[in-house]
Amino acid sequence: MKILLAEDDFASRKFMDKYLSQYGECDVTVDGEEAIDAFMMALEDGEPYDLICLDVMMPVLDGYQVLKAIRDIEMQKGISKEQRAGVIMTTALNDERNVKMAFELGCEAYSGKPVDLEKFDKVLQKLGLI
Amino acid sequence: MAEEFNIDGMLDMFLFESGQLLEKLEGIILEKQDAECFDDADINEIFRIMHTIKGSSGILMYDNIMRTSHKLEDVFYYLRESQPDNVPHLELVENVLKVSDFINGEMDKIKNGGDADGDEGELIKVLDEFLNRIKGEIKDQGIRLPKENKHEEPSQFYIVPVASEGSHFYRITIHYRNDTQMSNIRAYSATYALKEVAEDLLYTPDDIISNEESSDVILAEGFHMLLQTKSLKDEVLGLIDCSEAEHIDFEEISSEEFGSGLVTMGRIESPVAIDLGEEDAGVREEKPHPVPGDYVVKTKETGKGKTLAKHQSKQQSMISVNVSKMDALMDLIGEIVIAEAVVLQNPDLNVPGLDLTNFQKASAQLAKVTTELQEVIMSMRMMPLTNTFQKMRRIVFDVSRKLGKDIELEVIGEDTEVDKNIIEHISDPLMHLVRNSVDHGIEENADDRIALGKPAKGKIILEAKNEGGKVYVSVKDDGKGLSKEKLYDKALANGLIENKSMSEFTDKEIYRFITLPGFSTKEEVTEYSGRGVGMDVVVKNIQSIGGRLDIDSEEGYGSEMTLAIPLTLAIINGIVVQVGNSSFVLETASIKEFVRIGEDSIIQEPGGEEYIVLRGECYPFIRLGQRYEFENCQTKVEDGVVVVLEHEGSQICVLIDSLMQEQEIVVKPIPSYVKKVRGISGCTQLGDGSIALILDIASLIEEEERR
Repeated sequence: MKILLAEDDFASRKFMDKYLSQYGECDVTVDGEEAIDAFMMALEDGEPYDLICLDVMMPVLDGYQVLKAIRDIEMQKGISKEQRAGVIMTTALNDERNVKMAFELGCEAYSGKPVDLEKFDKVLQKLGLI
Repeated sequence: MAEEFNIDGMLDMFLFESGQLLEKLEGIILEKQDAECFDDADINEIFRIMHTIKGSSGILMYDNIMRTSHKLEDVFYYLRESQPDNVPHLELVENVLKVSDFINGEMDKIKNGGDADGDEGELIKVLDEFLNRIKGEIKDQGIRLPKENKHEEPSQFYIVPVASEGSHFYRITIHYRNDTQMSNIRAYSATYALKEVAEDLLYTPDDIISNEESSDVILAEGFHMLLQTKSLKDEVLGLIDCSEAEHIDFEEISSEEFGSGLVTMGRIESPVAIDLGEEDAGVREEKPHPVPGDYVVKTKETGKGKTLAKHQSKQQSMISVNVSKMDALMDLIGEIVIAEAVVLQNPDLNVPGLDLTNFQKASAQLAKVTTELQEVIMSMRMMPLTNTFQKMRRIVFDVSRKLGKDIELEVIGEDTEVDKNIIEHISDPLMHLVRNSVDHGIEENADDRIALGKPAKGKIILEAKNEGGKVYVSVKDDGKGLSKEKLYDKALANGLIENKSMSEFTDKEIYRFITLPGFSTKEEVTEYSGRGVGMDVVVKNIQSIGGRLDIDSEEGYGSEMTLAIPLTLAIINGIVVQVGNSSFVLETASIKEFVRIGEDSIIQEPGGEEYIVLRGECYPFIRLGQRYEFENCQTKVEDGVVVVLEHEGSQICVLIDSLMQEQEIVVKPIPSYVKKVRGISGCTQLGDGSIALILDIASLIEEEERR
């Protein structure tokens, strides 16, 4: 599985990278713009990401903007709902409104921080990624 | 529990919403428990409630909650689609309550920082069996089964963060010795050391690495840090290199103070808005919904917290306040009322010829504001009794089912508002009274009831009303009632009363025997009541908040227990009167009239008791001065004032010397070092600093009646 992780905080980045790497190759970016670049690049190469983990509070573009951009691009390219990348937001912003907005923007899951890895695994299973 | 664990926003919302839905569910169920079946609107509502809980628990991955609510939703799906007859209604009610209990239990676990790990297997089995029977019933009735209730697995999930203990917030200021070299580097190493344990760290000056001149600022003003961490004080201090530090200020602060940041370092005053639930709720500004782009981080410098490019306006329409703070506020307002009286009635103002026009205007304004202040704080503390009464419904349902009695509960006035403190105090006593009514009050055997011409079904009425500054909560049943003979015999047998004949007691006094410790007329002890402890505890609890319990009964036709509780505990309206050299306070609400009468209206009994005949009515008469053995008080009725006081329909007249003024009285308990004086319920401080005693009219009347 190909994974993209966008996270600007070093400690979280290291933690998530280590955890996600057991499931596949994990690319890491430190801001929102870079994340979209990486996503586009992978798409052009014909090896799109299966799972994208997005922090929300990031420089340049925030996680919600990235999520919206990714879904827009996928729609434009005619990628079906079944084939599109699974997106999991990872953030400490867990106000109900934020979560609802992210669901409306089309993320598959929203994880509060600190991340509960056991439940994270469960979600990955439900999404059919592992 | 919220203080020990950070409950996550989304999770909080789930718990709150589901809690509300379940409460609503119980409400519907208990209201319709005795009906033949649920009507369409109820079935739809329950279906909807279960559907919502199923959906949200699915998203949060609480699988056991999701599965049970799904099963129950299924049951109501079939009820809704096929509307079969002959649904075992009581069994259905029980099943719904079981599910609601299960989900409530799981939610409690979650609230306490645990995981929803309860086993739903048993419950699912019961529900499955029930569902199959209903399906069978539907087939038997020749109705086609509706197509399966399709269950859609949620496609989006929310991962609840690991429950974590609450963080501490500290403000740390390091003052270095004046000759410290490169204090900026030392400061930086301190921040570096703290990063290990910090969840968030802010400091000023913030350019310590890039700007060497910052070292001067640090030497002059000290190095300030705000730290958010899970570690305790000692652990944090251990990390800071103290070798060059002159001293370190260390202070634990609140998260709000932390949130307001370093700008105000040291002197922080965060405005607090308290929602009063007033009608202006609609006008309240809504926090704008978040949109993508709100959370772009501007720049990130070492050691600095993240700053968002877009300014986040922090508007809160609600805050939760610690009850102890509310109590402190309440006390302070009491003090203000006293202080106000001290100023406005200051003896210094009694200079002849002093022009007080402006002072009077200003004092009127002050009095108005303090009264409003009191009203506002009172309204903050008021809560409806709805929740308490809801619990009673459940108790009646549970206990009556267990005892095999058929009982209907009628609730009147559940939206009566009472001080929060009082609600907490009456919940347990009320529960006890309701249980007693179900257990002892209503007859075991429906035939006994029919023989007395009563309907077979027992009835309990729970009523709350607000009257004259008091709240009355009554529990009334139409059961056996109390038997005076039995009560008397029992009290005598238990040695609770002296050898007096029954006729020496009034009915009410005999009923009051059941509140004596160690009294129970019930021969058998049941699971719920009959152990003889309880009623005395009930009375003690009620008395502790200044209320009382009235018992009324008619043998064979039921009994009524009424709790009379003051609406507020702290401030009353009273009239200050003078007797001899002492001041008394009479509660304004209980004063009927002031009269001047002659000696000829007084009747003296041989025993010394006096009565006054006023417009053909006869009232007991007390000379306050004589009663408390004052000197220098009026002894002639003509020279004093007679006050007619009323309490609960009984009247009494007291003789006082003169009237002083009407004012708001802050009730303070009589200090414990003063021996209990009969007829006095409390005391207060007057404007000139002297103490006035608050007359307890109820006990005066009671004493007079006993004579």
